[in-house]
Formats: sequence, C-alpha cells, structure tokens
Amino acid sequence: MTGAPEAPGRRTSPWVLLLHTVTFRQARALVPAVLALGVTRGLGNGLGTVVALVVGITVLSLLGAAISWWRFSYTDGDSAVVVTRGLLSRSARTVPNDRIRGVEVEAPVLHRLLGLVRVRIDAAAGSVTSEEELVIDGVTRAEGDRLRHRLLTHAASAQDLAEGGRHAAAEPEEELLRFDYRWLVYAPLVGSYLAVPLAAGGALLRAAEELPEQFRPEFWSPDVSDTRIVVRLVVGALLLLILGSILGSALVNWRFRLLRRGGALVAVRGLVTRRHTELDIDRIRGCTISEGLGMRLVGAARVSALVTGLGDATRRGQVLPLGPVELARALSAELVDHPGPLHRHPPAARRRSIARGTTPGLLVAAAGGVLVAMTGWWPMLAAGGVLVLLGVPLGLARYNALGHVAGPRSFAMRSGWLVRSHTVLQDRAVVGWQVRQSLTQRRAGLVTVLACVGAGSGGYTVRDMAAAEAPEFAQAASGAWAATLTPYG
Amino acid sequence: MSASPPAPVREPAWSLSRAAIGLWVTQAVLGTVVYAVIVAAAIVFVPADAGWAVPLLRWLGPAFVLVYAVVAIGIRPRLRYRVHRWEVTAEAVYTLTGWLTRTWTLVPISRIQTVDVNRGVFQQLFGLATVAVLTASSQGTVRVPHLEVDLARRVAEDLARRAELVHDEAT
Repeated sequence: MTGAPEAPGRRTSPWVLLLHTVTFRQARALVPAVLALGVTRGLGNGLGTVVALVVGITVLSLLGAAISWWRFSYTDGDSAVVVTRGLLSRSARTVPNDRIRGVEVEAPVLHRLLGLVRVRIDAAAGSVTSEEELVIDGVTRAEGDRLRHRLLTHAASAQDLAEGGRHAAAEPEEELLRFDYRWLVYAPLVGSYLAVPLAAGGALLRAAEELPEQFRPEFWSPDVSDTRIVVRLVVGALLLLILGSILGSALVNWRFRLLRRGGALVAVRGLVTRRHTELDIDRIRGCTISEGLGMRLVGAARVSALVTGLGDATRRGQVLPLGPVELARALSAELVDHPGPLHRHPPAARRRSIARGTTPGLLVAAAGGVLVAMTGWWPMLAAGGVLVLLGVPLGLARYNALGHVAGPRSFAMRSGWLVRSHTVLQDRAVVGWQVRQSLTQRRAGLVTVLACVGAGSGGYTVRDMAAAEAPEFAQAASGAWAATLTPYG
Repeated sequence: MSASPPAPVREPAWSLSRAAIGLWVTQAVLGTVVYAVIVAAAIVFVPADAGWAVPLLRWLGPAFVLVYAVVAIGIRPRLRYRVHRWEVTAEAVYTLTGWLTRTWTLVPISRIQTVDVNRGVFQQLFGLATVAVLTASSQGTVRVPHLEVDLARRVAEDLARRAELVHDEAT
C-alpha cells in the first residue's frame, strides 16, 4: 500500500558530517575501549600517543558519520514517511501519516551554529516497544519547518476530511502561556532540576576518574576535622546546588512559550537546545498536574498533556514545565473540561493508608525487639519506633491526597505524597477498566480502580475507593459499556 | 471464603476449562522440584558450620519447600479455578483473575486493537490456549487464560470480527 519502492529519497545536509565527527557520535562507543587498551598498554609515553589516539578516533568518527550519512535517506510521501538506512542490512521504516502523533523540531547548540535542526517524528505507540520514533538528524531549518507543517497537516486531514484541512487555512496563533522568569525561583524545590547539578558533578568526577594518572588534576583535600570548614563546605555545596538547579531550569525552559496554532498546540523552549514540539489538539485526552513535595510548599506545579499514542508523556507532552499552581489549574481546565471538586475516600481508606505507612516501621521494630531479647542491642528497636511515629503522618498525608470524581464529560483522580498528581481524563480516553481487590481491601470494603488509557503512562489508578462506588464511577467516567461491571440485583 | 463480603463488581459468567487445574498443578509440581533441587544443593554444598544463619536456613529451606508444595499444589489451583471467570458480552470482554488479590478487567469491544491466541508448552499438553485482547493502552490488556483450543479460536475470531464492525477511534 505504501509502495514507492526506492523513490529518490531526500538527504540530510552534508554538514551533519562535521557535526557528528565533532561530537564523536558514531565513535563514542569506542572511546572507553580505546582508553582501556591504552591504559593496559601503558599510556605513559607522553603526548604522542594521546594525539595519535585523538586523530584515530576522529578519523573513525568521520568515516562512521560519512557512511551513515551516505546510506540515510527519507521520503515524505502522500501517505507515509519512509526512512531508509543501514550499511549492510538496509532497513526502511514506514510510518503512515495518519499514525503521526506529534513532531518535534529541536536545535542543539552545534546544530544551531550550522543552521540545522533535528526532527523527531512520534508515531502511534500502542505496543510496548520504545522504537516508535523516527529521527531525521541534520536538515536545514526551513526543511525542518516544511516537514513539520506537511506531516501534521497530513495527519489532521487524513483524520477528518470533513473539516477540510483546517491546518491549510491561514494559521492564527494564540499565545496561551509565556514563561515568567520569576518562576525560576521554584526550580531548587523541584527534584528533577535539583538532579541537574548533581548529575553534572557526577559526570565531572567520573571523567576525572577516567583520566590517566598524570593528567588528573590534584584535588584540594580539605581538613575535615575543622567544623567551620565543614559547615562552609556544606553551605557552599548547597548554594551551588541551588544555583545549578536554577541555571539548569533556565537553560531548559528559556523563553518557553505555548501557542495554539490551528489545530495544534506548540511548545517552544530552550536556551542552548531549542525545542519546538507540536501536539495535535484532537489527540489530547487529558492532562496531569503534578506537584512535588517542595513545590507544594511554594505553590508551584507542572502540567503535562496526555496525548494518545505519545509515549514519554512527561517530557514531550509538557505544556507547563514549572509555574504557579493557579496557572497550572487554569491551563489544564483549558485543555480538558474539569469534572468538579474531588470526592474524598471513605475512612477505611485512611485506616489502610496509615497501616501501610507504619508497616515498615513495625517490621523494623519487630526485628529490633528480637535483637533486644537476644543481644540487648536496642537502637534498632528505637529506630523502628521512630519510623512507626513518622509513618502515621505519612499515611495521613497520603490519604489526604486521595480523591476522585466523575463529571459529565471527564473524570479526575488525585494521589501521591512525594509527587502529588492530579489527572483529568476525558471519558472517551478510557479503553478499559481494571478493578483490583486484595485480601485486606476486601475486608475493608475498598477497591483500587485502574482506568486504562491509550495515552500517557497507559493507566491511571484510583486507590482505595469504596467498593460500592466502583461500578457507578466506572460507568459515569466512560460509557454505557461499563455497566457490565454493575452487580445484579 | 464464605464469610467474605459480596464482590464489588459483577462476577463474569463462565468458568475456565477444568483442564486448567491440571495445568496449574503441573506447573506447581515443577516449581516445587526446582525449589527442592536448589535447597538440596544448598544443604549439600554449604558446610553446616559456615556462618551465623546457616543452621537456621538449613531448617527454613526445606520448611519453605514443604509449605510451597502444599499451597501451590494442594490449594492454589482449586482456589484459582473457583475464582477465575470470563465472559464476552454484547459490548465488552470481561475477566476475573487472581486467587488472593482479585482483578476484574473490562475492555469494550469497540476499543480492541488486536486479538491473539497463545499456546504455551504446557498449554499444548493440556489442549489449552490463552486469548489475549490488546488495546491502545499498555496496561489495558485482557487475557483469558486456559480455554480449550477450539473455543479460544472461536472467541478470538468472533472478537476480531466484531471489533472490526464497531471500531471507532480505538484510542
């Protein structure tokens, strides 16, 4: 059906050779092996070996880049995109246009210097395999925009011919959101941004470890016995961490803008790597507002859209990376109808939540009790006691996060303590229900209900809702077919 | 069992093939043999005076195997057979699985993407097959385990045909 055998495919720009050589894209895998070889053979005799190695790797890299550039071509036909590549085993991947869920155009820093972009095409996920993405690396900016426009226009017009190519009409842009730099102060309270400086530090240390002995810089080793120095070190590290997270967040979210252009939602962001993500609004089935523990303290949140067939929803579907919670709520209400205030879960759910929170502490305490009886070693018992005491507020907090509601066209659920996520889904998103009941839940009259959805993580749970409410909720939140769940009589 | 509160949702109507009990017992026997071999090897090769917990483990190992054998061979297959149910209604595929934790799964026929019939090695011995119904969601898969092969084939064909007729967006 999607024939066109050996059509003269388009090429990526030859400049991509330079790019891939500089970044050792193909030869990167070789570097550790070569280093290891060098170390065993004795890298000691000076700069000559190092230069030879560098030249060798560069040549290899250029060769690899040239071969893969030579064998790579793509065709964007009327019905499908075909990407052909591979030296010995040729592979041609064909993605029908109506399966394309989103197109992302990104421009990492080196690409930008050469005026190139990288185009990622998301195809329908569905299956479990992660290989649902086509990457066309190194086309000109104009070609990238052309591809993006053409692919998404196709995707939409194939889907609803009746509307007669809304995309083709002049594209009025409407700005939904613009990143406010004051929001950067939230960054140190967000786990993932805090991880940025830590990861950078870790990478630096690892790189230093891999260097041969003589090139390794001499680390300043502080006198740890002096408390003042230790305090200064800790404070300094904390400041670095905070600064790093703000910087990291600024790099990623620089000039973030969310636009509505025709039938698509466009997110643009990034300082060094500029990303341009386009989502089809017709395919948005819901959204998640997530607030981490630290974010809740200052009233910050992030929002991601749940798009059918789009894997990796947290990154690709992100429509508000970081911002005040009121704005997050308003944005999510704009994307999906809100079903109304959440219903609390029954008291049995609170008891179960506390029981779950205190179980680890009780286990530790029990083991500690045995230890005290046998050897008289008490600290473990004490630790268990403390854990039990901490488990009570934890259980209560987890219970307080629970909630669900089914409205006329959508339904919502909330859970989580470390990261509290509030998910709103459209009724039509549901492709199945799963009702789970463990032994303890059966005794307490609770169930856990999972809404299976072909978007985002694939399933969203309502934990510990009253067993009697489950069939009604499922029916209200999906459709008449869910009446199968309702017990007779 | 009899004192437990009523099920939160309706029970699907049909039970599995009785041959499923035989299959589960076979699997449990094999599992028991594997565990027994591991424990026996540990008792033979690890010297009794090797360390702190070894004497205790020498007792716990066989005890574990014994308990596992009783539960997995004697109790679990029958309990599973009593719990597991399935049904294909006018609009949906509906199953109940599990023996301690129970899971009811409901998938509307309009959202079915593919229907597979799988036959494992042991299933072939017992003339059984599993019908797997896949949807757009990675978590929304319904498996009807251990049906007679003919029945499984007929169910799969019927579901695939009906899914094609009522296929809406499916996502």
